Amino acid sequence: MVMYPTRYHRPQSLEGALTLHAEHEEASYLSGGHTLIPALKQRLARPSDLIDLAALPGLRGIKRDNGILSIGATTTHAEVAASAVVRDAIPALAGMVGTIGDRHVRHRGTIGGSVANNDPAADYPAAVLGLGATIVTDRRRIDADDFFVALYETALEPGEIITRIDFPVPDQAGYAKFRSAASRYAVAAVFVAKFGAAARAAVTGAGSAGVFRLRDLEAALAKDFGPAAVAHCKIDPGDMLEDLVGSSEYRANLVLVMARRALEHPGEACSYK
Amino acid sequence: MQHVTLTVNGTKVSRDVPDETLLVTFLREHLNLTGTHVGCDTTQCGCCVVHLDGKSVKSCTVLAAQAQGGEVTTIEGLAQKDGALHPMQEAFHRLHALQCGYCTPGMIMAAVNLVDTYPAPLTEEIVREQMEGNLCRCTGYHNIVKAILAVAAAKRGAADKAPVLAGAE
Amino acid sequence: MLAEQIFKSVGKPVPRNEDQRLITGRGRFSDDFSLPGQVFAAMVRSPHPHARIVSIDKSAALQMPGVLAVYTGADCAEAGLKAIPHNPVPSTKYDMKLRGPGDTEVFSGAHTLLPTDRARHVGEALAMVVAETLEQAQSGAEQVAIEYEVLPWVADSQEAAKPGAPRLWDDLPSNILVDTFFGDAAATEKAFAAAAHVVTMKSHVARVTGVPLEPRAALAHFDSVTQRYTIYAGSGGAVRQKQELAAVLGVDPKNVRVLSFDVGGNFGTRNRSFVEFGLVMWASRLLGRPVKFRAERSEAFLTDYQGRDLVTEVSLAIDKDGRFLAMRAGNLSNVGARCVSLSPLSKGSGLITGSYDIPIATLHARAVFTNTMPTQAYRSSGRPEVTYAIERLIDKAARQIGFDRFELRRRNLVRSEQMPYTNAVGSIYDSGEYEKNMDRALALGDWKGFPARRAEAKSRGKLLGFGFANYVESSIGSPKERADLIVRKDLIEIVIGTQPAGQGHETSFAQVTADLLGVPFEQVKITLGDTDIVSAGGGTHSGRSMRHASTVIALGSVDLIAKGKALLAHLENVPADKAEFEDGLFRVASSNRTISWFELATFAEQGGLPVELQGGLRVRRDNEMHTPVFPNGACLCEIEVDPETGAVDIKRYTSIDDVGRCINPLIVHGQTHGAIAQGVGQALWEECAIDPASGQPLMGSFMDYGMPRFDNMPSFKSEIVEVLSPTNPFGVKAGGEGGTTGALAVITSAIDDALADYDHPQIEMPVTPVKIWNAIQVFKKRNKAA
Repeated sequence: MVMYPTRYHRPQSLEGALTLHAEHEEASYLSGGHTLIPALKQRLARPSDLIDLAALPGLRGIKRDNGILSIGATTTHAEVAASAVVRDAIPALAGMVGTIGDRHVRHRGTIGGSVANNDPAADYPAAVLGLGATIVTDRRRIDADDFFVALYETALEPGEIITRIDFPVPDQAGYAKFRSAASRYAVAAVFVAKFGAAARAAVTGAGSAGVFRLRDLEAALAKDFGPAAVAHCKIDPGDMLEDLVGSSEYRANLVLVMARRALEHPGEACSYK
Repeated sequence: MQHVTLTVNGTKVSRDVPDETLLVTFLREHLNLTGTHVGCDTTQCGCCVVHLDGKSVKSCTVLAAQAQGGEVTTIEGLAQKDGALHPMQEAFHRLHALQCGYCTPGMIMAAVNLVDTYPAPLTEEIVREQMEGNLCRCTGYHNIVKAILAVAAAKRGAADKAPVLAGAE
Repeated sequence: MLAEQIFKSVGKPVPRNEDQRLITGRGRFSDDFSLPGQVFAAMVRSPHPHARIVSIDKSAALQMPGVLAVYTGADCAEAGLKAIPHNPVPSTKYDMKLRGPGDTEVFSGAHTLLPTDRARHVGEALAMVVAETLEQAQSGAEQVAIEYEVLPWVADSQEAAKPGAPRLWDDLPSNILVDTFFGDAAATEKAFAAAAHVVTMKSHVARVTGVPLEPRAALAHFDSVTQRYTIYAGSGGAVRQKQELAAVLGVDPKNVRVLSFDVGGNFGTRNRSFVEFGLVMWASRLLGRPVKFRAERSEAFLTDYQGRDLVTEVSLAIDKDGRFLAMRAGNLSNVGARCVSLSPLSKGSGLITGSYDIPIATLHARAVFTNTMPTQAYRSSGRPEVTYAIERLIDKAARQIGFDRFELRRRNLVRSEQMPYTNAVGSIYDSGEYEKNMDRALALGDWKGFPARRAEAKSRGKLLGFGFANYVESSIGSPKERADLIVRKDLIEIVIGTQPAGQGHETSFAQVTADLLGVPFEQVKITLGDTDIVSAGGGTHSGRSMRHASTVIALGSVDLIAKGKALLAHLENVPADKAEFEDGLFRVASSNRTISWFELATFAEQGGLPVELQGGLRVRRDNEMHTPVFPNGACLCEIEVDPETGAVDIKRYTSIDDVGRCINPLIVHGQTHGAIAQGVGQALWEECAIDPASGQPLMGSFMDYGMPRFDNMPSFKSEIVEVLSPTNPFGVKAGGEGGTTGALAVITSAIDDALADYDHPQIEMPVTPVKIWNAIQVFKKRNKAA
């Protein structure tokens, strides 16, 4: 369908973007546009203004500073997947980002847009939560554990803009996802990471409340980081999404299988369908 | 209204268009370049793929205003000025990689970008994985894969033999 | 049959004429056309599966900016617009004769452009808004206020067939519109009673949709001076659309011009007129502006004519030696809210016994209305369903009675010596070498190497299955075709009434013509799609095109050569029998001088010719052919199942297809590939699912409707077999639909084989990962308990 009429702005500074948003209550930020524009084309939303963040200086780029990998909010998936810095620091992250959408989508979609949207089947939330990243905005820093609030809902305040995401560099990480045949989004996907004696494991695609951490797997991984730890993990189908693609029992099963495969292939992102 | 200026197929063009105008609409309806097609409404089919600043993009999911000042190449701009076809167009023709032709412009643009920018040699598996963003209902994909591998091989200077697909004729 | 000659062009893999414009962005698809002053239409569609229309309030919509008009069913009725004459009952000489209950005429349910009484399916168009821009039309459509009285609904065909089900049409006592028995019921019962073994299977072959990548679109305008309508609209046959739309509007067909140039895939979805096409034509006259409609993909999913949806229950009676004695089948076709075409039920009915010599059979064929989008022919209309039924039944029989599945098939295949073979429901298979197809398929697919591949997969924790199916399918189609053969200054033009959507007619018909007339392929041009030039023709469906086109062109060539000779004789002032034609050149007997077609055409323009030689060097030839042909083949595939996730991976796919004479192998292989993909799509991913609680269609976009893609399809090994059909001069059968015909059976057969350790669960298509995983869990629970 055709979008409702709107007004397009392309501010050249963060302050400009924030001011525009404050002036227009019904405004939406636009980054890669590959979640927002499809929604607008379905006439599901009617923002009065679109504020394009693409020209904001300093929001695009990748750098590693010792133990922190920083990715600017308007960095595209293609740039992240191809980045030698990311591949060196967290290869499973580069690999994961290389499986988002398709080549053309990756040329436009951005990390900021994906994380701000918090689609329950998107990949980035699993990596952000699985690595315990920090979401840096124009006004504060938010821990991953506090960021993903509910389906499509984050801790961002109205008008708040993500400027970058800081990922702590793990000793080891892995990602495995099972994709839906049609949408190609995750039916269940698990991101695991080892930080010294500690471990994190985050699941996307499967939870009925969105991305979540697998606490008993993390505890088992802390003792012994490897695929055998999955045997100690139990998933309650009651917490799982149920739809045409999979029942909650099926998703519960997939979570464990994907967790095990992520641990069997450290440093990689495995994609199944 | 937005005053959008783009370089399209080597020519600078400007139009005043409603802010919400998609790049594909700008091309089809404002520039009368109807070679780029619309096949879906969920950014999945790839019929609308063009090149924007050297990257393949789905023009149905980019506002013309977002592309401001950029360089766009559409299927109409792929052949040489003297009319000589791009190797990908030739390969599609020779190897019968199109039937109804509706997905073909986006398919060719996607394929060209893949061959031109993928950082490693293309195999059948990689082609199939990287072309996931383009749907075809007529060909079953077999000949398209062949055409892309043939162009990639020729570009690498590999011996000119027809690519063999796994388990294929 | 044409005398065998060395074909210079026919049989060669000639790259296509159509490609040049399509690979450079100069295709002419319906939405590529625009006219000055054009306005846009948007439809208002029913959100309910079944509801009485109480009132439609246009007032708010008419106030919206840019809105020019709002049309409803009441407006159409007042204007005297007629229902679309779909003519749904196949009625050529050899079609299976479907009848209504009690041997009555089939009632099909009127298809007015917009209804006045009720909405009978979700998505049914109830009003059309026309505005200056598309966005304004859509905003206007959102403001049309319709008051509904929601009615009970039924979407499932078995439920709809029961007494007391919600009824869609007051004209019928139930929802059943077709109820016919074929075959010999008494003999069948006798054979079953005496049989050593009886095997039964029931399955619901689900609803899918064609998904041509070009959404349907139409641009119409009315010229008030000439009083003619022009409509740019891709279809399955411009001539048929012209007749139908003229009938709807109540005008003489000569006042309608249909332009159907490049069509972005058809597969059956475009074979019948869409309501929007008639509506934009009508609106263009009322408004005095060209009116454009183009469907969104979501509209296409919802309201393209859909395909399949057959509940089939089949049984085989088998003797102790594995000979098939008799077959019983009950087929229930879901036609949707109204009947647009009974082709799937009819075509399938004629092929229930498949490739096998089953001497006795009985079929109970029924069709039922439901509150769903109407269905019609879709790639190999009706044949994939019945092939799936018989082939899977045979697999089941082999297991049940302890026979090897290939041996059981060989024992019962129709043998070449039996051709032409009349099956137990009266279809006459024209030709084919079925066992040779089987042998060749198994060799090409390396059946011998399978055990090693299975063991290797097992070592990786995967289950590899080997699927096999024979198939035979039928090509009937509209029996009439017309060709104009016109010799111009430097090319031969053929005007013909087929309507390709990717099948390459501009190339393959040129090959045929080039060889018949002895001219270079490059000097033949095929003209299609403009009804001001194409005066008659049957369109493209059912694999009819090459058979009909090559035949009518062959017949026309004879006429054209005769006219050429007569012209030459007149010009050279010699008796008629002294004019000769050979190898594309005319000459007077015992003269060295030859004259080309093109030189002769120039002479033909001059004045002073006798009446019968006037009009230029051209002929018009009509032909009517009813005899069907039966393409056939065998296919096999290997599928690796991941038991942990239920994921499937097609490792290889091999297809042997007897298409009769193959005019262009490049094109035919391409058809096979695409046909296979559509069958695989149905077997693994595609379904027009409906929520059982609400009656709402659940697959509205590519986000829900899984498609064959680059990364889930294998490469193919396909081989063409040419057992010439004795029914037409070139010996053509058809090549467009064989690939789909065996695909449902072969994919499910492979998964079934992969799951041998889990007791061969019957899993309904689409066989998705979750279904496979569930079947494995069910087996595990059952065996744990045991």
